[in-house]
Amino acid sequence: MTGPENLRTVNLTVDGIERLVDVRPGETLAETLRERLRCTSVRQTCGIGICGSCTVLLDGKVISSCIKLTELSDGHAVTTAEGLSGPDGQLSPVQQAFVSHAAYQCSFCIPAMTVAVHAAMADPEVRTSTERVREYLAGNLCRCGSYPQILQAVDELVQSHISRGLETEG
Amino acid sequence: MADAIGTDPEARDAIQRVIGTLPFVLDHRVEGMAFGKVVRSTVPHGRLVRVHIDEALHEPGVVTVLTGADIEADPGVREYYGAQRADQPVLAIGKVRYAGEPIAIVVAESQHAAEEAAQLVYAEYQELPYVTSEVAAREPDAPIVHDQWPDNSCGEWRLQHGDVEAGMRQADRVYSATYHSPPASHVPMEPFVCLARWQQDKLEIWTSSQSPYAVHTGMQEMFSLPPKAVRVRTLNVGGGYGSKGQIRIEPMVACAARAAGRPVKIELARDEVFYTIGKHAATVDISTGVLLDGTIVARRININYNAGAYAVTSPGGAGQGLSRAPGPYVVPNVRVDSVATYTNTVPTGPYRGAMTSQLSFAYESESDRIARDLGIDAVQFRRRNLLRKGDLYPTGEALKDLHYDDLLDDLERAIDWATPSDPSGPGTRRGKGVAVIIKNTLTPSRSEAFLALRPDGRIEIRCSSVEMGQGVAITLVQIAADALGVDTDRLVLGFPDTDVTPFDTTTSSSRSTSSMSEALQSAAGDLLDQLTTRAATRWGVQRQSIDHRDGVVVEGDEPRRRAPWASLLAPGESELVGHGVFQTNFGLSRMDPMDVHGPVSVHWHQGGAAAEVEVDTETGVVRILRLHANCYAGRAVSPLRVLKQNQGCAVWGLGPAMFEELQYHDGSVSNPNLSGYLIPSIMDVPIDLTGSAIESSDAFAELHGVGEMAVPAIAPAIANAIFAATGARINDLPLSPERVLAALDAARQAEREDSA
Repeated sequence: MTGPENLRTVNLTVDGIERLVDVRPGETLAETLRERLRCTSVRQTCGIGICGSCTVLLDGKVISSCIKLTELSDGHAVTTAEGLSGPDGQLSPVQQAFVSHAAYQCSFCIPAMTVAVHAAMADPEVRTSTERVREYLAGNLCRCGSYPQILQAVDELVQSHISRGLETEG
Repeated sequence: MADAIGTDPEARDAIQRVIGTLPFVLDHRVEGMAFGKVVRSTVPHGRLVRVHIDEALHEPGVVTVLTGADIEADPGVREYYGAQRADQPVLAIGKVRYAGEPIAIVVAESQHAAEEAAQLVYAEYQELPYVTSEVAAREPDAPIVHDQWPDNSCGEWRLQHGDVEAGMRQADRVYSATYHSPPASHVPMEPFVCLARWQQDKLEIWTSSQSPYAVHTGMQEMFSLPPKAVRVRTLNVGGGYGSKGQIRIEPMVACAARAAGRPVKIELARDEVFYTIGKHAATVDISTGVLLDGTIVARRININYNAGAYAVTSPGGAGQGLSRAPGPYVVPNVRVDSVATYTNTVPTGPYRGAMTSQLSFAYESESDRIARDLGIDAVQFRRRNLLRKGDLYPTGEALKDLHYDDLLDDLERAIDWATPSDPSGPGTRRGKGVAVIIKNTLTPSRSEAFLALRPDGRIEIRCSSVEMGQGVAITLVQIAADALGVDTDRLVLGFPDTDVTPFDTTTSSSRSTSSMSEALQSAAGDLLDQLTTRAATRWGVQRQSIDHRDGVVVEGDEPRRRAPWASLLAPGESELVGHGVFQTNFGLSRMDPMDVHGPVSVHWHQGGAAAEVEVDTETGVVRILRLHANCYAGRAVSPLRVLKQNQGCAVWGLGPAMFEELQYHDGSVSNPNLSGYLIPSIMDVPIDLTGSAIESSDAFAELHGVGEMAVPAIAPAIANAIFAATGARINDLPLSPERVLAALDAARQAEREDSA
């Protein structure tokens, strides 16, 4: 090994704030976000991109940060669950819906679940159908089984999109 | 005045839960902390000839490398631990007993450095024959897992009630079958994680555990420390389900910190979680003698639980299973033999619905098979035999507070039992099934609680119940508020900390809502009593004239005098503490394992499930159309949280019913991650997923835990629905398409033979 860590600096915009961070070659985005930038909402459960606990948005698209190399994210924008709330701590509609429906138990997977729902609700093809959003969440596992409450939260968001859509058309 | 029980207050940390700032041990750091990575055995059984650590020691960033030999050589460490039988070495000593067993720990400056160096540690083994099946391990020439237990016995229990031989002779028919449940894994989303720090002779532990006091006791024993020299703290637990209920990775982390001379944190990778603890595979032989009218007259059950390589809770757990095996039925003649057996597999322990799911799959599958053969409706067969108030259970105790008729009514209603399933398309069949179960709760056990009145008028709850998503934190706030007659916002609750919060046996066995609420009520009584005495003394009046209203002491009917509670604290007095204890002093652990007789449980848990399925008869794929889970709750502290627990039980139960299985190839786990070990996703769960809590009409009814009652009913309810749809009976879990197809073929074959 050349030097203990052989670090390289990358530029990430995390939740709207530009960060210069030194990372190892081969370091995953999940590790960088958790261990170097202390984003506690990003959690690693499987390490192979299946469980969804490490879900973040990269330039607005859903990814599993545990299988994304940080170096390949250089210059890109990352949104974590914490970044979904407003700068004043105001909850996003997705977050508010999860709180209102008590869509959590142990809550380890929940922040990442809100990121996936957020992305689904940004997709005009998806956001007007609870069933489509449900399919969107197939890659976010919740072992406690809070799925019924999560679907209730989703349904509320979908209904509000449908009624807003109707208003626009009208 | 408070009336918090029966309402649904939001979790106080709901926003943190959703946005991701809820504290977990995973996020905890201390100064000077190093990181540990565990090196594991690659063979299922072998003499450990030598562990090579030199290369790893010279890697950059490595602080130390620890092996079993180092721990054995340290006179300050008891190198074996175990909740019920100290048979598990911190790191393998002399031999390895399963593939995945820890053999060394690399401690380094960073997680990455520890992981890199760990790859350079390797061991030489002299491989031994291994055994993974609990049945094979009981054969006379089976490989011996522990020399001290040459028959591989990890616990043996017997229960006899009436005369089972005579009962079988009296029966018109006797039905016999063998059922098998495979090993499974808890898969908490948060892995096992622990941080240990030694400060002089005091050991501090932060751990993701359901049982801080089990860790506290275990650490005292391991390092010969007095109670005050060990401090255990927990934060939120990211899912437990039984996996975090005993001492687990804490011995490794504490030993690593001791060797490194600085704080060490270990967070297991997902495959390591699979290698740490799992669910008991079990083989259950069941014979049932019945009269032609459906009355059960005798039942004979042999249970063999696969303990894995180390005892954990299996010696006692086999007894817990024994007491639940006859099912929620009146059976006048019973014999149950229950054993746990060592094998060269991952150690096993309580798994939500602990020790019970393996049995209910047997007895509730038999209920439907027998009912159909006798031409009796499956629900009616159950009603003919159900335990009701005052009935004698095979343990010899007359049971009270039984609600199986209500549970069955609810299941019938939920699944619309009286109406046949809608017709399905070609190549598919639909059917409905139900199941009910009985389960004791951990007895004897003890819960203690303090309620500390502070000068600011708030009351701090100090107890060691662990919040792991079940909602125990807000549940205890509701209970304490009602016991004190104040609003919930007067109450403060922190995390368990053995320096601050008193003893509690464990947050498991669905005991906390019940036991800790009893302790809190007793603490509330004590605090109110002390406040009454102080007020009476201050005002020079009789105690009887003192009353409490919403945190204020009053004297007289139209209060002549009033004083807020906090004003009764002396100047400079930091708090006034009420103490409460709830303790049970009987149960299985006080009985002769070969002659179980007497009260086993402080109360009995009752649950059920109903399922409707559609079976594709070409592919064997089963679609679950609807699922309903219920339980007896006594009184629901929060109807919404009870619903979430029932639905959670249904989702949980779906996994082992339909696809979860820890697979072994050549003695090693072949699917130690979520790519090969599937857990239910949102797409596996039926949209029609409902739950009910049966509540008592008594306003003071005992509270019952609700966290796992429906779990053991899920697999048999689904298996019974498949049976109703197709006539195919499946005796092995999971109910995979391959098994369904094989059972369909067998059913068709049987039909042909019948008509021939």
